[in-house]
Amino acid sequence: MKRKLAAAIVIAGMMVSVSACGGDDGDDSGKNAGPDSFKGQTLTVWAMDGSTPDQWVKDVTAAFEKKTGAKLKFETQKWDGIQQKITTALSESNPPDVLEVGNTQTPAYAATGGLADLSDLKQQIGTDWTPSVSQSSVYEGKQYAAPWYFANRVVIYNKKIWAKAGIKDTPKTRDEFFKDLDTIGKKTDAEPIYLPGQNWYFFDGLTIGQGADLVKKDGDKYVSNLADAKVAKAMEIYKKYASYSKAPKDKDEATPQQAEIFAKGKTGAFIGMGWEAGTAVQANKAIEKDLGYFTIPGETADKPESVFLGGSNLAVAQGSKKQALAEEFLKIALSDQYEGELAKLNGVIPNKKSLETNLKGNAVAEAAAPGAAVGGTTPLIPEWGAVENAPNPIKSYMTAVLNGKSPADAAKQVEGEINKRLAQQN
Amino acid sequence: MKRSIFGRFWPNATAVILFAGFAFPVYWMFATAFKPTGDIIAENPVWFPTDVTFSHFKKAVDADHFWTLVVNSVTVTVLSVVFSLVIALFAAFALARMRFRGRRGLIVTFMLAQMAPWEVMIIAIYMLVRDNDMLNSLVPLTVFYTVMVLPLTVLTLRGYVAAVPKDLEEAAMVDGCTRGQAFVRVIFPLLAPGLMATSLFGFITAWNEFPLVLILNKDVEKQTLPLWLSQFQTAFGDDWGATMAASSLFALPILIVFILLQRKAVSGLTDGAVKG
Amino acid sequence: MSVQTRGTDTAGEPAVRKAPVPAPPRGGDRTPGAPSRRHAAAPYLLLLPALLATVVLLGWPLVKNGLLSFQNLNPRQLIQHLTEWNGVDNYREVLTGQDFWHVVERTVVFTAVNVVLIMAVGTLVGLLLARLGKRMRLLLMVGLVLAWAMPYVAATTVYQWLFAQRFGVVNWVLDRLGWHSMADYNWLGTQTSTYFVIILLLVWQSVPFVAINLYAATTTIPKELYEAASLDGAGGWKSFTSVTLPFLRPFLYATTFLEVIWIFKAFTQVFAINEGGPDRLTETLPVYAYVEGVGNQHFGVGAAISFLTIVALLVITSYYLRMVLKQEEDEL
Repeated sequence: MKRKLAAAIVIAGMMVSVSACGGDDGDDSGKNAGPDSFKGQTLTVWAMDGSTPDQWVKDVTAAFEKKTGAKLKFETQKWDGIQQKITTALSESNPPDVLEVGNTQTPAYAATGGLADLSDLKQQIGTDWTPSVSQSSVYEGKQYAAPWYFANRVVIYNKKIWAKAGIKDTPKTRDEFFKDLDTIGKKTDAEPIYLPGQNWYFFDGLTIGQGADLVKKDGDKYVSNLADAKVAKAMEIYKKYASYSKAPKDKDEATPQQAEIFAKGKTGAFIGMGWEAGTAVQANKAIEKDLGYFTIPGETADKPESVFLGGSNLAVAQGSKKQALAEEFLKIALSDQYEGELAKLNGVIPNKKSLETNLKGNAVAEAAAPGAAVGGTTPLIPEWGAVENAPNPIKSYMTAVLNGKSPADAAKQVEGEINKRLAQQN
Repeated sequence: MKRSIFGRFWPNATAVILFAGFAFPVYWMFATAFKPTGDIIAENPVWFPTDVTFSHFKKAVDADHFWTLVVNSVTVTVLSVVFSLVIALFAAFALARMRFRGRRGLIVTFMLAQMAPWEVMIIAIYMLVRDNDMLNSLVPLTVFYTVMVLPLTVLTLRGYVAAVPKDLEEAAMVDGCTRGQAFVRVIFPLLAPGLMATSLFGFITAWNEFPLVLILNKDVEKQTLPLWLSQFQTAFGDDWGATMAASSLFALPILIVFILLQRKAVSGLTDGAVKG
Repeated sequence: MSVQTRGTDTAGEPAVRKAPVPAPPRGGDRTPGAPSRRHAAAPYLLLLPALLATVVLLGWPLVKNGLLSFQNLNPRQLIQHLTEWNGVDNYREVLTGQDFWHVVERTVVFTAVNVVLIMAVGTLVGLLLARLGKRMRLLLMVGLVLAWAMPYVAATTVYQWLFAQRFGVVNWVLDRLGWHSMADYNWLGTQTSTYFVIILLLVWQSVPFVAINLYAATTTIPKELYEAASLDGAGGWKSFTSVTLPFLRPFLYATTFLEVIWIFKAFTQVFAINEGGPDRLTETLPVYAYVEGVGNQHFGVGAAISFLTIVALLVITSYYLRMVLKQEEDEL
């Protein structure tokens, strides 16, 4: 209790004026309540497009409703414009109770005070969360979200097209991969790979592979490091990949959904998340039997390409009046049973090492695992969130280079914007 | 003689070319929506859909809550058009027919109001609506759409009211009508085309409105069709058949309203449609 | 009576004075039926709903927006409902940055180009409508109404399809016409070509309004005027400049004013075509305000930009507003 009081004083001190949200109240009121006290309530959960397989939703809902007697409502959110949506939602008197937040965004939201402190919950259920994946949710020593799952990009390819091109094995090095793409281009009428110019998380992985940093410290503030030669090297690799694609240079992988295009059966491969295979199958059932996955190959056969470790956390809105119920949900959703089920169904990396056994035999996960071992993230600083707001200057940089600008010139062109955003006050 | 043929030919030819230019995008939207995908992404465009399919429409209508959104859009649009017409008619009558202090200032007020760039104020509007606990409701949408179209409606209707010969009204009053009765019996029927013409602007504005509903209503069941169309387009941007089918569905009601109202409207626009 | 009024209207008074009076009948009769004093409150009562609605629902957001522009308002403040005044910081940030001035310049040029095109093409099409036979006029009218009625969001989508890099019909036609480099041209790749698409879209959407209304206005020109002109020995061009044009002038002023407003604040079309891209080079003021404020979650700065946007619009239209003020004064 005392610890809590101290925390409350700190928080109150941080604010210029204390608002009337009073989100903390709910925290205590429901603490000792039994299941019946939740009757008649509905918990709203925002999950991102592709995160929650139908079966998982069904099972978790059943378990949740049985345990608490309350209703559970999942609302699937689109990635487009999600940051503004979450920001405004968190400011409302009736926000979603639980929401999925991308790991690159979590520090920024933690800093806004919009997310509830889940440190206590971590004590109860999260002591064995993989530290590296839990890290993005920690801000100023407190846990503001629970790590949910992690995933990284793999190559999803169309076996039929590859067979038609006469390729027997999946590539082990980047050069082999390029050679294969070249062969597909020559021997079939398919597009070797679909890679739009602004698949920036793939690019982020390449920069990690080159050991490059996107930001650097300048005195006490962060500034762009895009002009670094290592970033340029990563961009050259990206450009080489893109040269095998006819995809637009000024669009990202979600506009249009690359899986929708791949589903048409005229694309050799694309670089995407495991769940995107599901999107493709949904669009065209016939593609299912031709789907294959492999790790994005690296420079040499012994080390695969580094990838951006995309992760999602589950956070509770500070303004939610159902804090206790929300914690109940997290306990169920993140329990070994359902966390394991999610890993199995979506082929994503669970939040605990012990649950990784669920990935055995999962083609996506097996392709993803080697990359994850050498993966990384975007800079985990609150200032970073603003950089990814649309229009994302790094995407502009990518398009500029693909359109023939030198990486150095392109970096110069967007650095002002990046620095402005990094300096943006909170 | 020669000159007359010459004089006829060029205007007619120009008219045909212009017709094609203006109608083609609309035609292409419908044509694409009905074509099978193979014909859409063909090396050479298929100009007429010979092999008609409804699958794109099915995909478009298949979206969750589609019919709820239709109902929402229709409700919001019709209500705001009706409200703005009624409110504007009173104001227009006063401005066109009566003399009073401050009339000039009021006209300029409406002209200024008409210039309001609503899109740039959405955060302010959002905070006001949020702080009044009116999010996820059709009420603020209706109210704001009404006000968005109100100024132009007032100014336009003023022209129409003014264009009704005053003698008619006076004749009615001589016959023992009160001013109000004269208005209802004499002026109002003459105003019908004007009202229709004016309502077109409201229909377009309310039906199209997008940024406000995006920020105010996160609850899918309280959203409107423009959101659906734009999200649909983001997700299926490459699937032009489905995108065009969705666009066609979205455009159709307005096209019908226009075609129904247009004849009356154009004859009505004659006198004072766009006066300042 | 009203014909006479129209006659004097066209007789060559200074244009400014009579500019915004396209509806002639009003000037006609003033004397009889003046309202009695008892009804002095009537106009105010009739105006009350419209005025109240406008003042409350437009005025309130305007004031709120004004207040926000003096605040440091980012996600943290928005979420916690904090009010942090920061004086004129937002304005300083906007006005000292070079982005803003580029956008202003761009917006003004963009508006000018569009409005000139719309008015020129619209007037010509309107005059053409007046010259056509019944059937051809109906045909052209149908085309115009179709374009006019297309909802913006649908229209932008259709234009994206027409100008699509792959399988877009425009690129195909250009390729066929022998311009082979356009076969796979990415229209949204450069500033100029993106603007080309946006301007074409806006002109296509706006011309019908001008043309149809202008045609409607020409039908009200009394034949006597032309007869009188031809008696004076005026030819086609002369009677156009001496009769048609002066008669239409107030209408043209009013329409230009409306188009300036509509184009200047056009948001959906500019934003939806390419989201202000490439590289933010096609952002006009409203789009800039949106991207900086909502997109970049820098709400206070966004509010400052929107306030400046409103000021810019007022400056641009002030000439016309002054004219109206003066004219309404004369009338009373």
